[in-house]
Amino acid sequence: MASSCLGSKAQHQPPPPPRSAAGRLETLLQQRLAGRTESCCQIQPRRAIGAARTHAGRELPCASPAVAQLSCTVLELGTAASLSVHMAPKNFFQIILKSRTKSCACAERRSGSCCQRSVWSAFLGAILFCSGNLVKAEWKPREGLVELRSPAGKFWQTMGFTEQGKQCLLPEEAVYMLECGSIQLFYRELPLSIQEAYERLLSHKTVTLLQYQVYSHLKRLGYIVMRFNPCSVLSPYERQLNLESHHQSSGRLNHKRKRSSSSRSKNREENQTKRIPANDEICGRVANNDGSQSQLTSEQNSDWTKKESEEQCPTNEEEQTQDRSCAKLSPKVRDRPQSRTEDHISSKSFKTVERSKWDFVKIAFPNCAFDCSQTLYPKPYKDLLPENIAGQELDVSYWRLRVNQQREKLSRREREQLERECRYKKSVNADRAVRQCCSWQEYKQLLEQRNQQRRSKRPPHLWNDVISPLVQSEKVSSSASLLEQISILRSSHILDGAARPQENTEVMKIDFDVYQADAAANFKKSSPGKPYVRMCVRRFEEQVPDLRAVKQLTYQSEDVPVVFALVDNGDIAFYAFKDFKLPTDMYH
Amino acid sequence: MENALIPIHLLQGTALVWNMEDVRKIRQCHRLVGSLVGSLPRKPRQNARLGLPLQLLPEEARLLAEIRAAVLLRTVEHEKAAGGQDEGCDSEGSSSQGVEEVLLSEVAVYKQALNESYEEQWQLALQEKRSLLESLSEQIAQGRARRRHERGEQTGDPNQPANREDVKENFHFPQEAMMVQLPTARPAHSLTEVVDWQHPSPDWPHAGQLVHEIRYQVFRDLWEKGFFLTSGGKFGGDFLVYPGDPMRFHAHYIALCTVPDETLQLCDIVAAGRLGSNVKKTVLLCSAKQDGTVTYMSLQWAGL
Repeated sequence: MASSCLGSKAQHQPPPPPRSAAGRLETLLQQRLAGRTESCCQIQPRRAIGAARTHAGRELPCASPAVAQLSCTVLELGTAASLSVHMAPKNFFQIILKSRTKSCACAERRSGSCCQRSVWSAFLGAILFCSGNLVKAEWKPREGLVELRSPAGKFWQTMGFTEQGKQCLLPEEAVYMLECGSIQLFYRELPLSIQEAYERLLSHKTVTLLQYQVYSHLKRLGYIVMRFNPCSVLSPYERQLNLESHHQSSGRLNHKRKRSSSSRSKNREENQTKRIPANDEICGRVANNDGSQSQLTSEQNSDWTKKESEEQCPTNEEEQTQDRSCAKLSPKVRDRPQSRTEDHISSKSFKTVERSKWDFVKIAFPNCAFDCSQTLYPKPYKDLLPENIAGQELDVSYWRLRVNQQREKLSRREREQLERECRYKKSVNADRAVRQCCSWQEYKQLLEQRNQQRRSKRPPHLWNDVISPLVQSEKVSSSASLLEQISILRSSHILDGAARPQENTEVMKIDFDVYQADAAANFKKSSPGKPYVRMCVRRFEEQVPDLRAVKQLTYQSEDVPVVFALVDNGDIAFYAFKDFKLPTDMYH
Repeated sequence: MENALIPIHLLQGTALVWNMEDVRKIRQCHRLVGSLVGSLPRKPRQNARLGLPLQLLPEEARLLAEIRAAVLLRTVEHEKAAGGQDEGCDSEGSSSQGVEEVLLSEVAVYKQALNESYEEQWQLALQEKRSLLESLSEQIAQGRARRRHERGEQTGDPNQPANREDVKENFHFPQEAMMVQLPTARPAHSLTEVVDWQHPSPDWPHAGQLVHEIRYQVFRDLWEKGFFLTSGGKFGGDFLVYPGDPMRFHAHYIALCTVPDETLQLCDIVAAGRLGSNVKKTVLLCSAKQDGTVTYMSLQWAGL
């Protein structure tokens, strides 16, 4: 109580004649505050603090240091310029709390003016900065960006971009840096105040006030916030084709960052028009692949596996070895029909994407098995080896002796499992007819023949007519899949059918990509990677987005969650919709 | 001075106050709170305490305008003239040249002020250094004496006064060390235009909207009863009503504004009542008639 009252006294006192340092200071400040000259208040901070101290001390000789500091801040309030930036007391918050509790205790409950004053005086007010620490920047309204005139500070790691060899900041970045006191913003040779910066830099063309409030809120919390660029998101089709590397090389390097939203949306449209026909054409064929990577290898390996299987087939005479090897072989056999059908696609589309420099057709991996007669292996190709390793011819017979050739001992459980597998899973090689096939073509023909035979056994009124059985026995592999086949209501995923409704993307759009703060150390602006969340800024009064809008946004953002930021008169609240899958009973 | 109108600047339909003296006046004389939305320059990496500008609710801004305590302002777009300049049209005519002259003079004033400021800071820094030297002069003298003694010299005194004179010539106060202020508010003499709060405009879209009118009636009535109000989005209402300053008190009521002739969904009432009882606040259903009378109804969660 006492402290804050003292503060108010000090503040309301008329400026003493400029004999004392404090008075001199005050009058100086008042002169400066009159007009544009406001922007260049001059104070030598240590001096000023000292002056304020003596000022307070004259008022009440027994003033404690805390009181002096407090009155110093009150002085700031009176003169609209705080003196102490770098020498702001370390226990800044403590002082406020103290004075607050003090005055709260004795002040009457309704009028909280005393305690407020001290809090306010500490928190409001313009601030002085050492001009050497400020990065000078100029606002270019026509380009809609801010160009730096002196080299950027540490913030350059997460903000800004380079255009034509010049360091630039986006308007929202510049306003934020100005508010933080890191840059000094000039426009037509004159420094801009924060208010002017708000009015000039934040507009519907660049970033609205609402978006800026969310931006600065997140930045203050330490998140890295970038504008959302729809081009940076790969479509599912692009990802399937593994266009990522191609995309980055073409899109990123030419123009590091899209600025205006108009060019952005145009690009988006172009992309879409290009994408859609392509989609229809190839998507059907490629759709069943999990990823191009596995496809690539399976395709290139197919020759090799074929050879190997041909080699192995004759050796598999003994029933003893067969049950072990067939387990190994079966995945390959499953792979084969797929890779077969894709041969023609991959030969076309994957030449451009091919990453591996190895030609696996030419590389023969030695078969060191016991049943292989050949024991002498030639020198490997030089270009297959690392530089510092020399290859040599090798006879493996010696090594073969040292290989453990004893039969594997199985635990009881493993044996049981093997037994079960033998009972229910039939090896393809157990079939005599299959073993007689000497090429893929014959095997395929055999399968086709068998299918036809099976079909001919069916009663004719089923399958071929309108009437068909509710459950097709071939497709049922488990009770769960059976249930799914006969279910009436199906659960859907949020992205189902989201590719189509693209007409009114203008209604809602994603505004920012948000990256987590702890990634700041190894964050790269050129390849920021996958954001933590994507942010969509909304007014508090606006309607809750409908399913369609949510679908669109989710489609736009791919697998990154979309978070809505609601701004309610400066308060910001975040919410998100989460995809939810009803649990199903596995043992139904 | 007390009667001067508080300037409230409109930006994209939002009412902002940029002067902290005004902020204080709004809070202390008019019992209106608003919310600070800017970064605090000293502690920019936190969201607990924020700085200027103060964002006012539309109702708060209108109330201030209506009781003639404030005036709503918008910045006049002299961007057109500026745009012409940027494109380098010298043939623009006298008006743009006039603007340019004004600009040039402003730049000159700014530069001069900067120089003056530098000079003054130079003086102050010099004084500081002198006083520092004076306060340390004994130690310096002792140190010198000791060194001289070590070297075995005995001639001493004439050096000292000359040293003090040197301070001024040797003193270097770099331009980078100068303190500059980053101003928050715009200088007073820039162009603004008064916005009429009674008519809707791009800068003030709220006028005439039914929801705004009802909210305003309720707001004003509660304010006149001596309550403090803040926006109540946190609790799903329109306003939070405090018996005193929100810094000291918890809100007692959640005010929900309803249009008089509209039927309320029972679900909404249940939700509001449930929430109110959970957070120990009373839910007020408020609606206003055309003549300005406001009726209140409170919801109580009776555990029967």
